[in-house]
Amino acid sequence: MTEIGIPLIETVGLTKKFGELDVLKGISERIYKGEVVSVIGPSGGGKSTFLRCLNLLETPTSGKVLFEGAELSEKSTDLDAYRRKIGMVFQQFNVFPHLKVIDNITLAPVLTGKMSREEANAQALELLEKVGLGDKAEEYPRKLSGGQKQRLAIVRALAMQPDVMLFDEPTSALDPEMVKGVLEVIQKLAESGMTCVIVTHEMGFARKVSGRVLFIDGGVIAESGTPEEIFDHPKNPRTQEFLAQVL
Amino acid sequence: MGKGLFEVLFEYWPIFLKGLWGTLKYAFIAVTLGSILGALVAIVHLSKKKAVSSLAAVYVNVLRGTPLLVQMYISYYFIPMAIPALNSIDKIYYVMLALTLNSSAYVAEIIRSGIGSVDRGQAEAARSLGLSGGQTMTRIILPQAVKNILPALGNEYIAMIKETSLAGTFMLYELMYTRTILANKYLVWQPQLIIAGIYLAVTLLLSAGVKKMEKRLSVSD
Repeated sequence: MTEIGIPLIETVGLTKKFGELDVLKGISERIYKGEVVSVIGPSGGGKSTFLRCLNLLETPTSGKVLFEGAELSEKSTDLDAYRRKIGMVFQQFNVFPHLKVIDNITLAPVLTGKMSREEANAQALELLEKVGLGDKAEEYPRKLSGGQKQRLAIVRALAMQPDVMLFDEPTSALDPEMVKGVLEVIQKLAESGMTCVIVTHEMGFARKVSGRVLFIDGGVIAESGTPEEIFDHPKNPRTQEFLAQVL
Repeated sequence: MGKGLFEVLFEYWPIFLKGLWGTLKYAFIAVTLGSILGALVAIVHLSKKKAVSSLAAVYVNVLRGTPLLVQMYISYYFIPMAIPALNSIDKIYYVMLALTLNSSAYVAEIIRSGIGSVDRGQAEAARSLGLSGGQTMTRIILPQAVKNILPALGNEYIAMIKETSLAGTFMLYELMYTRTILANKYLVWQPQLIIAGIYLAVTLLLSAGVKKMEKRLSVSD
């Protein structure tokens, strides 16, 4: 891993309060281009909130989020322009039910002027083919299974040709038999060199695809390291306890 | 007892028809203008600035929290009194103003709850793709909210058809006003029953239409 130059995404002293509740208590982290970082930890520990702060879907209470050195939380920042470079996949898919599969994918690239309708269509069909949905372009999302919806959501984010993909528990809402197909798509993406930050409960998957694992608990990064360091030789007692429960 | 129901209906049907036309017309105008105004109020209400948003909340609460008849009296008597220059305007407009403002408050709530009914994840997904707030509203939220808003607007129209009966008090020629006309011919109980029958027929018919529309709109879920 080349960790030189400017990180793609950096957080500095990131905190987030929901009312009186301290969800994030100061997270400073750097994610470099090409890295695949998994974020694990107990529910309510802050890992999803951390991820959602990276594209400012949650506004940090204090601290900074930097994208290639530019501060996203700055008022003068054109946040929409940066969000176009940051793809996001949600636990609940959030596909657009009123649009056909192909229009789900082409909406953003065309509307933001990134590409023409023809280019966007061609790209969408190519991407759908790659994730095994080539025959679904003209369907409405209601005709898709959960796994297919999530693959559509991934393709929709990829259509903006982002620099990084954020995954927020992408398989947590899926029936067990749908999980594999979605994880395969994410794995292929990770192997292709796409920078990925993946919040997940799939420990086997995290071990397999990531170059680095963050264990977030109690609003802080309690431990971070390679998959071997985290899964085989965890140092922090909280990590050990958590892994003992889930593995 | 005098004349029978059907006798009265056959003899005076043009009067009832004209009354019905007035009822449908006034309700339509009130809901249409009320929808435009209500949409604006809803936009104000959805503002992230609390001071701005509460302005709309006060508007909605006042108009929904006071009887329409009271609003009509205020509009009908007090506006011309307060602003004498407006005295020359046909009083029918003051009644329409009250109906429109009243409807706008209900429509504002219909639109607001229609927008609120769209899952928050939809907006998050759109914003995460880099769409602006406006694009998210027009391309993602509103097309989905319409499914809830349109049937509710239909119901508001049905409600307004009944509310316009109060306008007869101010001599607007609508269905209820026919009662006043025929009372002059010493017909009292027949017109009342006929009017009730017409209201019922119209509202049932329109309710069936709204149900059909609801069904059709929900297909793509």
